[in-house]
Amino acid sequence: MAPATSDEEAASLPHISDNDLKPFYVLHKASSSQQHVRKPVGRTSRKVKLNLSSSLAATDESQLLDDPLHNDSRMKIFHHAWVKIDSTIKDVLHNINADVFNEINSWVQKSFRAICSGGKLEIKKVTCSYPVVTDVTSNHIFTALVITSNIEFVDDLQTFADLGGHLHSHGCHVANLSSVDFSAKSGIGGCLRSLLRQILNGSTDAADISVLASWYMEHDNFKNPVVVIIEDMDRCSGSVLSDFILMLSEWVIKIPVILILGVATTLDAPKTVLSSKAVQHLSPSKFFLGHPADRLDAIIEAVLVKHCSGFLVGHKVAAFIRNCFLRQDGTLTSFVRAVKMAIVQHFLMEPLSFTVSGLLNEEVTETDEWPRQALDLPSCLRRLSEPKSEALLSGASKMKDVLNLWSSVVLCLHEAGKSQRITLLDLYDEALDPKLYNLRNSDYLELKPDSQRPSWNHGIHGQSLETHKGRLIGRMIRQIRKQTIRNNGNLDKGTKALNEKAAALITCMTRDHMQPIECIPFHEIVCFKNVDKLQAALLGDPRKRIQLDLLECNKFLKCSCCTKSHSVPISSMHDTALMYTLSQEHGNLINLHDWYQSFKAVISQKTVKDKHKSKVSPSPKKRKITAEPQNITEASAQARFCRAVTELQIAGLLRMPSKRRQDYVQRVAFGLTFYMTLPGSVVLNSEGVESRDVHNLLEI
Amino acid sequence: MAGNQGQLGHTQHNRAQQPTSQTHPIRSKKIMDEDHDIDEDEYEFSRNYFLAKESGKSGKKSARKLSEINLVDEQDLRAEVSNIEPKHEKEIASLIDSYKSLYNEWLFELRYGFGLLLYGFGSKKTLIEDFASTALTEYSVIVVNGYLQSINLKQVAMAMAEVLWDQLKLQLRSASGSLPKSQQPFNSRSMDDLIAFLDGPHAPENECFVCLVIHNIDGPGLRDSESQHLLARIAACSHVRVVASIDHVNAPLLWDKKMVHVQFNWCWHHVPTFAPYKVEGVFHPLILAHGSASQSVKTATIVLQSLTPNAQSVFKVLAEHQLTHPDDEGMPIDVLFTSCRERFLVSSLVTLNSHLTEFKDHELVKMRRHSDGQDCLYIPLSKDALEKLVQEISQ
Repeated sequence: MAPATSDEEAASLPHISDNDLKPFYVLHKASSSQQHVRKPVGRTSRKVKLNLSSSLAATDESQLLDDPLHNDSRMKIFHHAWVKIDSTIKDVLHNINADVFNEINSWVQKSFRAICSGGKLEIKKVTCSYPVVTDVTSNHIFTALVITSNIEFVDDLQTFADLGGHLHSHGCHVANLSSVDFSAKSGIGGCLRSLLRQILNGSTDAADISVLASWYMEHDNFKNPVVVIIEDMDRCSGSVLSDFILMLSEWVIKIPVILILGVATTLDAPKTVLSSKAVQHLSPSKFFLGHPADRLDAIIEAVLVKHCSGFLVGHKVAAFIRNCFLRQDGTLTSFVRAVKMAIVQHFLMEPLSFTVSGLLNEEVTETDEWPRQALDLPSCLRRLSEPKSEALLSGASKMKDVLNLWSSVVLCLHEAGKSQRITLLDLYDEALDPKLYNLRNSDYLELKPDSQRPSWNHGIHGQSLETHKGRLIGRMIRQIRKQTIRNNGNLDKGTKALNEKAAALITCMTRDHMQPIECIPFHEIVCFKNVDKLQAALLGDPRKRIQLDLLECNKFLKCSCCTKSHSVPISSMHDTALMYTLSQEHGNLINLHDWYQSFKAVISQKTVKDKHKSKVSPSPKKRKITAEPQNITEASAQARFCRAVTELQIAGLLRMPSKRRQDYVQRVAFGLTFYMTLPGSVVLNSEGVESRDVHNLLEI
Repeated sequence: MAGNQGQLGHTQHNRAQQPTSQTHPIRSKKIMDEDHDIDEDEYEFSRNYFLAKESGKSGKKSARKLSEINLVDEQDLRAEVSNIEPKHEKEIASLIDSYKSLYNEWLFELRYGFGLLLYGFGSKKTLIEDFASTALTEYSVIVVNGYLQSINLKQVAMAMAEVLWDQLKLQLRSASGSLPKSQQPFNSRSMDDLIAFLDGPHAPENECFVCLVIHNIDGPGLRDSESQHLLARIAACSHVRVVASIDHVNAPLLWDKKMVHVQFNWCWHHVPTFAPYKVEGVFHPLILAHGSASQSVKTATIVLQSLTPNAQSVFKVLAEHQLTHPDDEGMPIDVLFTSCRERFLVSSLVTLNSHLTEFKDHELVKMRRHSDGQDCLYIPLSKDALEKLVQEISQ
């Protein structure tokens, strides 16, 4: 659709400035005076806050949030915690991959020696391909197929970058390429160029392999192999990759290239992606990376169960992250991202989070004291019976003790549950549940005198014990007991007794020492619980939210004039919201004429034609007629109609009339269900037809 | 949050790799009995969808024409559009004002490596620019107007590199007193070089960002996947932070998982403003002005009247054929030639072709391939418009 206005025409409009029509412009440059001083983040924006604060009642909390000293220390501690989590995750992943990496490294060295056994070449011959290769097997490329067993290539980007780093540290010349370099569009030149850029450190732009060959002969370069890592072979253009391999095979004597291909799908992948001629030149070996679920468990253990950073998440947040992983995204990357987002949100929202350092320190000193404000935390008000000052003083060390106990029990359970294939992801989720904890306690309380029962009744919130018994931990304990009984016949008495003891120990441990974070006083300081906030920041839902904006605009605008109408179109409503509300009465095609007439009728506050009248509409409208009948000219009504249609079109809620159906626009969104907004998911358009054609869906 | 279920609920194209349970609308009743809100949503969704489909097909579909409205002249309409009296001005202003309390949070997220993605109904242009000029003064800010039709991202990257270079020079000069070695001018560098420069590990002890503000990252100029991949690569650079806005409900489809989780690393913020899309809407055709029948009839009449009477008659033959055969794909050339020769309008195919060339040049007539492989001619006008046109030229 061609733009209807020319630039000049648009420029003549009064509300548009020059900058608005430039494709881009520099808004401002960094103010040089403040440049090199690292400043706490709050400073510039606090000015903004002050302007607003007149309207806000100055509560303790907002004072605390604004306090520059605390703000500063919050930022410092946040940074500390963030760095800690980041490095912990990296370490965990590195350790998991260490064995495979070493294996690959020794294979690379072995392959290199095998190539070099052919002898060194003279420098003069080096820049032309094909020396006299008589032996057919000699132009084979040693190829490692690294099976990721994970369809989500995004999780393995870091793994391959690490692998590159690992090999580089052992002297190899490494280039990390991806499917972007092997696209049909850029062709063989594209991948060769990025290869040269990486190995020659960007000193050339020519796509010529002979440059690489002569470089390889220089200095000591020839003492080490050239390793080319292609992280996602399945996504590469087959023909380009085949050409690349054929080219390398011609040069393999002079440049001993070793290929490492990341394969997500099956071992057959090279045969399906590459041409048979290229496959002939590969001499493959296989390596297997760890399963993504194992990696996830390792990360949970290191970051969340062992609370490396002094930052923890509550049960609901853990459940949300788990659900995201299991049902929606399934990538480790998004899991890590969710944890990072949670920590950012926690430090932004919790004014007392600056005291987290009490948990971060290896040794908790007696002087570690939490500020008085901590006593106002709900968890504190509810539970503390001991003297307040004492609680503040010992709060940190107590919490640390409880958490340590909790994490040891969880890890024990994980170890015990390994035979039953219980993942830490599920176990962690359950171990955090305060309701279940209260339930478990109730088992215990039943043996106690009646005086303590009421608290138990209160705690279980009406949940029956049955649900508890079906849960993971309960099942696990029963399983251990069952083993004792089942093995009765063929096990000696000693083993039986041992098994029974183990079951008793686990029961005791879970009962006495597995106190979830949310049951500990002061937990708000270190524990992030606001799942809604996290979800909103992680997964925007424009499809639903934008429609809701329009249907419930009064919620946001809070104007007095439209308050009474509950989704009944009245003339004072925002034009576009009014139009969208009216469009809900139509099918998937909206007749422009009818739509315009009903719009005009509403804005001029006359009763709408019968067929557009919804059941509820007559009474409020009649009431409204008595207000002030507006005198709206045809031209202004049409202008407002046009603008509203344009705005709906920008929001992607309408498709413009086609040549065939000039009098209709098409509705695109039906209902508010959250869908189609997940990145990378299979896309279905409104007709339910699978389509990866984004343009079709974004068509306006 | 089983988002995918919604779309599966009403399709036969169930995908095996979907991890979630697949529900069929017929079965969804049963599932609703279980305690899932999602399934209720899903049921609601499929119900809405089928209701909309049904009401579209049933007989009560209105057949009213736009031409029945007394349409205002396009120029008057445009003038009127730019003078629309704003509604709820005060409320909108205070709504936008209320977001100022979030600036602190946004800045924090930005500094720690997230990209800000603002969405919600209403133009977010003023909001973002206000944020940039009050809270981002420590950083250089470059604004990209994604709502424009074409944007050269290489130039954007060049401008970013230049700004960053100035910033780094200043820093180095004040830190060590020595000027760094001179650089190759940025305008002769390739995109890869520019990105490598923006991603460089300069001065790790000091943070030094260029902030890229993108209005409508889902806009027409940036909607292709190549631009989005480029933007994602730029966004992933160590010296770059991105603040962007989207307006289209399906905008997230532009990105794959790598872009979302690793490169852009979006932090979403729902900030409806209800402010009019003034600049963003400028390039959209007005629905009541664009391609309306009266306009095209007017222009077509003017063109036809400037042609010879014979040419006019040939056009009329074609028009009458189209009116009497509304379901045909068009009129084959040999049929047109035969009927024109019968009426002594043309004597040879050459003369007919010269007329047709004239028509085609003025877009009065178009050519398309018939389903049986034959080329045929048609007039790209609706039935009403064509009737009106024939009437006009017959007078």
